[in-house]
Amino acid sequence: MTDTPTVTALVVRAREGDQDAWNELVDRYAPLVWSICRRYGLARTDIDDVAQNVWLRAVGQLKALREPAALPGWLATTTKHECSRVFRARRRQEGTEQPLDFEMTPDDESKLIEQELEAAERNAVLRAAFAELSATCQQILLLRMEGVPYEEIGARLGMSIGSIGPTRARCLEKLRADPALVALMTTETSRSEQYG
Amino acid sequence: MAEVWSDEELLARLAVALAAAKDVPPEFVAAARAAFTMDDIDIELAQLVYDSHLHPEPQSLTRAEPACLRTLTFVSSGLTIELEVTELQLLGQLVPPQEAEVRVQERSGQDAVRTTDKVGFFTIQPIPAEPFRLHCRTPGGLNVLTTWITL
Repeated sequence: MTDTPTVTALVVRAREGDQDAWNELVDRYAPLVWSICRRYGLARTDIDDVAQNVWLRAVGQLKALREPAALPGWLATTTKHECSRVFRARRRQEGTEQPLDFEMTPDDESKLIEQELEAAERNAVLRAAFAELSATCQQILLLRMEGVPYEEIGARLGMSIGSIGPTRARCLEKLRADPALVALMTTETSRSEQYG
Repeated sequence: MAEVWSDEELLARLAVALAAAKDVPPEFVAAARAAFTMDDIDIELAQLVYDSHLHPEPQSLTRAEPACLRTLTFVSSGLTIELEVTELQLLGQLVPPQEAEVRVQERSGQDAVRTTDKVGFFTIQPIPAEPFRLHCRTPGGLNVLTTWITL
């Protein structure tokens, strides 16, 4: 499910000290770390603590991971553990004896992490493919996503209304041609066939 | 395999993906990027393995003197750092006992350097009000950083 070639290449480069590769990894997976922390309902300062610890340890993991593509899974699991540790500490400080709301069976838990990872991976692939498009393509697609009518898009981008439809179609075609996105769509389809 | 996701589906998923990234505060991303610094790549991280707040001991086992409020233990492969929080200061002990330079790094970027005594004992006073971490270096080449500590 992980876009293995991309992640592997980034981890290998980061391992050698390449800051750009690290930044790309962060951009890919910061939303994953963030969303897990949010799910625990932690205060912002606690979220920052958790994230600092997770990323610092991730730097150490770059060298330790035998399988570079395992990094996203490691990030998700570690973030979850850190969140749950801080969550319990806060509960204890407040003297609340309530059980953890997030107590789940190990099975449910690993399923949830798997879903979160899948969503993060799909989102990362989509964003990366989108980032490869021309500025015009990006603007047209963004405006369409916001439901802006063709007339207004034409006016804003200085294009004739008649050319927007075809341009949008070409932009989507380019998006669909992204190799990582193709791979993603193929896996998702074969999976739904398998379950359907 | 041409149309796996319809155009609408593709755009909807793209919108979700872009929104997920937009939700993340920029400074959150900046802090994560900053975790990677070439100088520090050989630093070993010491994990919190014990926190008396999380593992309350039976009263009889805790020593009475001088009102220890909390005990924390950080462990890396070569060094263990034990911290005791008292009313006014932090008492630290390195295990195995050895001399070291201990840098107190606060979240705001403030730094203070302490030197341990010959057997690895050090004090930090006043107690940092904001999250901090300890960076220990020994003449023997140990280079250990604790995770963030919030008291």
